[in-house]
Amino acid sequence: MESRLFVALLLLCLAAESCYGGVLFSSLPRTLEITASPQQGQVLRAGEDRITVSWGFNQSVQASDESYKRVKVSLCYAPVSQVDRGWRKTVDNLSKDKTCQFTIVERAYDASVRNHIYEWMIEKDVPEATYFVRVYAYNSAGEEVAFGQTTDVKKKSDLFEIRGISGRHLSLEIASVCFSAFSVASLFGFFLIEKSKAKGFSKN
Amino acid sequence: MAADTANSPGSSMHGVSAKEQAFAFAVTSPTIPTDPTAKFKLPVDSEHKAKVFDILSLANPHMTTFHLSWLSFFTCFVSTFAAAPLVPIIRDNLNLKKADIGNAGIASVSGSIFSRLVMGAVCDLLGPRYGCAFLIMLTAPTVFCIPFVSSAGGYIAVRFMIGFSLATFVSCQYWMSTMFNGKIIGLVNGTAAGWGNMGGGVTQLLMPFIYEIIRRAGATPFTAWRIAFFVPGLLHVIMGILVLTLGQDLPDGNLSTLRKKGEVTKDSFSKVLWYAITNYRTWVFVLLYGMSLGVELTIDNVIAEYFFDRFNLKLHTAGTIAATFGMANIFARPFGGLMSDMAARPFGMRGRLWNLYILQTLGGIFCICLGRASSLPLSIFFMIILSITTQAACGAIFGIIPFISRRSLGVISGLTGAGGNFGSGLTQLLFFTSSRYSTATGISLMGIMIVCCTLPVTLVHFPQWGSMLLPARKDGEKSKEEYYYGSEWNEEEKQKGLHHGSLKFAENSRSERGKRVGAAHTPSSATPVHV
Repeated sequence: MESRLFVALLLLCLAAESCYGGVLFSSLPRTLEITASPQQGQVLRAGEDRITVSWGFNQSVQASDESYKRVKVSLCYAPVSQVDRGWRKTVDNLSKDKTCQFTIVERAYDASVRNHIYEWMIEKDVPEATYFVRVYAYNSAGEEVAFGQTTDVKKKSDLFEIRGISGRHLSLEIASVCFSAFSVASLFGFFLIEKSKAKGFSKN
Repeated sequence: MAADTANSPGSSMHGVSAKEQAFAFAVTSPTIPTDPTAKFKLPVDSEHKAKVFDILSLANPHMTTFHLSWLSFFTCFVSTFAAAPLVPIIRDNLNLKKADIGNAGIASVSGSIFSRLVMGAVCDLLGPRYGCAFLIMLTAPTVFCIPFVSSAGGYIAVRFMIGFSLATFVSCQYWMSTMFNGKIIGLVNGTAAGWGNMGGGVTQLLMPFIYEIIRRAGATPFTAWRIAFFVPGLLHVIMGILVLTLGQDLPDGNLSTLRKKGEVTKDSFSKVLWYAITNYRTWVFVLLYGMSLGVELTIDNVIAEYFFDRFNLKLHTAGTIAATFGMANIFARPFGGLMSDMAARPFGMRGRLWNLYILQTLGGIFCICLGRASSLPLSIFFMIILSITTQAACGAIFGIIPFISRRSLGVISGLTGAGGNFGSGLTQLLFFTSSRYSTATGISLMGIMIVCCTLPVTLVHFPQWGSMLLPARKDGEKSKEEYYYGSEWNEEEKQKGLHHGSLKFAENSRSERGKRVGAAHTPSSATPVHV
């Protein structure tokens, strides 16, 4: 009796889950074709190199692109960069999925254009990791309805690396050294001055 | 919140002449005589320690010391936990894994295990003013090391070194004990430490705010977080200079000057250490503090992530909740100290011990509840009660520590403080590193550990005051405070008169008998004044 109640509750929760926003990735058809300029294993530098992406609707697929209103192209983490990093986890429910955290371009979907092309300068806040590129199509309600990606289903092929900036600057490092030196020098300065004052006192 | 005498209502003559200044927190019992020869702004006892705690005053030296002390400790808490709210940026910049972040958290609290031990000895030998100044100004360079960090190893090493600065806790508590009378020391120590600990909460709001301003000024994220660390670094330098210029070790002056004048004798470190480690009460309190402060620091490190993951909150919402946990310190810890002092008025030391036991055990129970709660409002409710009880327990512990020993106060404070940090490292290692159980289960298990490890409070017994379950000795030599504090000096030292400071303290500590104080016989220890 109790186990039946538990199963019923579980099913209710799962049903509620899919009702409560969050399209499941596994339900999306792969109807968009996308390619990106980096080759397999190529290493790019954040803040310096560019990625050119081109995407379009795959005409050979048995589907219609009538419901596609917006399109978003994103930079996504490959599985090797997700290991031991729960904040980059892939989850089927897209409202909780953290795989794709950087937007390359987002614009309205234009069905008349066969092949969209966009050149993107890799931003300086992109961390050092291995990536692929994915595109989502959204309907008028803002829900994902289709996708495309540069890699295969297992996310093993056509991955490229980006080397992040260090964030270090010479001017910061010089300022650090100056302030540190000031701190240590003023401490010992005070100490020695007070010691000599106390010595003078005891001599009286 | 006027704290009046423990005598029957209406019997106090305080304020009757209408010329006496009324203080919110004051020792007004006639058993602690005011020294009429002293020329301080606040009324003082025979050791020139203040009998009143006037928060709004800056009276030199007592209240100035209070403000310098808690602000230095606050600054160190801000810099030690400054990285925690910025971890989402740092982990991308340095390509960190979960283990690296966890290890950095453990490293940040482990550094001060060692430094708190050393600080106790430093305070006994060099005085709290230099102890505090040296530490805060020598750890400023470690905060300034942040702009150089470029790997997980470097990050862990720098957080470890910054963590050394948490030893300012020991100098803070020690300094308060030299400036304020034993009857109000619970409240004073609790307030100073609580307001200092609050830094761990304030930093969770402050650092993201500074980071945001710097980013909007045009810096990229991976550079902006490094620049943000200049703020805690500069705070270190400023506070160090203020302590050196405005502070003094003792009410009558600085330690080195007083020693040269022959008024304060220099003690032997090995003796001081011996009397600290051979007193079993020291070790009980090391364990207890590990289960109160240790738990508080652990929660500081894991709670934001817990709320973020379990309830799918936004990062800044989780950060705000994490901040409220740490910021409850502003009243929770002083409250614990105040309750300790209030319990001591009718019941003496026995009241202090019961107060501590109840607070800390409640903390353990609410920790178990927090781990089991599965709704957000209930979780927040349990977390808030947990913060109040745990932090109040910290305050209660340091209401008792000044009475364990007079000679080795510094070393005992240091050992206890180190125990707090050790408890934090241990609980993080046991319950929050392994993936065998969830964070929620880890929190509940930690609660069970708290309840079990608080039981040793029942073992702490003072012959002259009693313990939780046993009463004090009624008569005989051992029933006198002078015997307890005098037993820390051998005959040779007593011949030289080195123990006079302890005797003075014994006289002032008679208040720990509670209502029995009136029956106590004032001994003829009226020896010449040697501080």
